[in-house]
Amino acid sequence: MNPLSPDSPYPLSSAAAPSPRGDADRAPDDASLLRMMALGDEQAMGALYDRWHSLVHAIVLRMIRQRDAVEDVVEETFWQAWRQAGRYETARGSVQTWLLTMARSRALDRMRAMKRLREEPIEGEQGEVVVQQVADGDPGMDAEAAERRTFVLAALAELPEEQRAALELGYFGGLSQSEIAERTGLPLGTIKTRMRLAMQKLRGRLQVLREEVQ
Amino acid sequence: MMHGLAHDEARDALGALALDALDASERAAVLAHVADCGSCRDELSALRETAAKLTYVVEPVPMPDDQRDRVRARLLARAASEPKPKPIPAAPAQAHAPQLRILEPSHVPLNATPRDTPVPPPVVLRPTVVPLNAALVAAQRMEARARWMAAAAIVVAVGSVWALINTREERDEMRVQLQVASVEGRADGRVLDSLRAGITARERFIANLTGPQVAVVTLASGTPRAASARMFWDQSVNAWTFVAHNLPQPRNGRAYQLWLVTASTKISAGTFTPDGAGDAVVRANYALPKGDLAAVAVTDEPARGSPQPTTVPVLVGSTKGR
Ligand SMILES: [Zn+2]
Repeated sequence: MNPLSPDSPYPLSSAAAPSPRGDADRAPDDASLLRMMALGDEQAMGALYDRWHSLVHAIVLRMIRQRDAVEDVVEETFWQAWRQAGRYETARGSVQTWLLTMARSRALDRMRAMKRLREEPIEGEQGEVVVQQVADGDPGMDAEAAERRTFVLAALAELPEEQRAALELGYFGGLSQSEIAERTGLPLGTIKTRMRLAMQKLRGRLQVLREEVQ
Repeated sequence: MMHGLAHDEARDALGALALDALDASERAAVLAHVADCGSCRDELSALRETAAKLTYVVEPVPMPDDQRDRVRARLLARAASEPKPKPIPAAPAQAHAPQLRILEPSHVPLNATPRDTPVPPPVVLRPTVVPLNAALVAAQRMEARARWMAAAAIVVAVGSVWALINTREERDEMRVQLQVASVEGRADGRVLDSLRAGITARERFIANLTGPQVAVVTLASGTPRAASARMFWDQSVNAWTFVAHNLPQPRNGRAYQLWLVTASTKISAGTFTPDGAGDAVVRANYALPKGDLAAVAVTDEPARGSPQPTTVPVLVGSTKGR
């Protein structure tokens, strides 16, 4: 429609695109990056990657140990973000949660595929508790993220040990309830009850944790 | 075969479902129940939110530099090799010049330039904005009202996002008026025609939003008031109806511009400004092959509109992956 200016500036292909709200010197927020990605701006994906790869890497690494597989899953996570950028809705949560939930799903897919192929047995992390992963003074997290993390860790710490273990083996271990029962030698009904109670309690505790939308 | 899983049994399994920890057969049975049970659906969505918050416990672990750079380079290369929206190519592409038409009443192609004639300046559909949210109609205002309703078929700014409901009510109201006027024989032919036209326009509007061949694209934004919008594309008649909600007022001399984005072009579907409540409805007619729509976007532009977007979209909805 405008053949006279083939070089007409379309800022979506430039990472330094001015924001319509006039804060041009600030880096675009996550939601803006996703909107730019939805319109095909790969530099926006680069920026999103630079911002979030360490965290995506962390969750994948938590579930999968094989280095090549970790690399693949990180890539597939950002690729999915690229393909689905236009479907992200701010009202439904932060970009961080959106991204990490996808990362976890992709890691689960990979774990299950590996299990089917018997390439590599699932590395059991029996009894490994999230709380053990606390590290001090992490420079990679802003204060708000650190606060949210502390809050969730505290909620997990309030769970009875056996409930927390069941939850962890399911959520980060990628095991189904019957696999957990098999592995722990406990009756399936016991595992089901523990998981259900753990989720009920967490739901109540984490409800106050409103998703901050940038 | 498990079927007809009892409510209590399904509800007890929702936590495990949210954690992705159900075995495949049980998962299928629970999901089948959830599909028919509103209370389980609500519960599951709350539990999924809870599960998503568990990702907060993860702390960043930097990737080894070589791995980090490798993955980044691969991602960008994959993205770059995909067909995607690009700036408009030069003149020869005019062979496929989009034909954007005002919906009602003229049906005049705005961009029906023959290939070998000089190319006109870019055309932007600039519809008038007419309030739709009228109070009850007094009989003496009937004619005037019927007249602006024809105009309203192009672009209407509505008092709420429930444009459809308003429209249904107004159509029904006009039907009554038409009946009364015909029976009593007190209105002249022009008024009756206007009323009929108004009813037809409204019926088309309703069909364009609810018809069997309507594709819906949801647009999202990052603005503080969480602006949102839907594009209804009635593929049977190439009618586009865009309904936006919670849009902030553009600055002085600016307006929003709506774009249909394909792999090779961005087609302007008009400029608009929302009403005081932040709502707007934009309609356009444009024939686009079914698979061609990549995204629908709204940008902030000068009030006269731009030939191509000049800012980052405030709203965008992609059809990728659908
Ligand atoms: Zn139910």
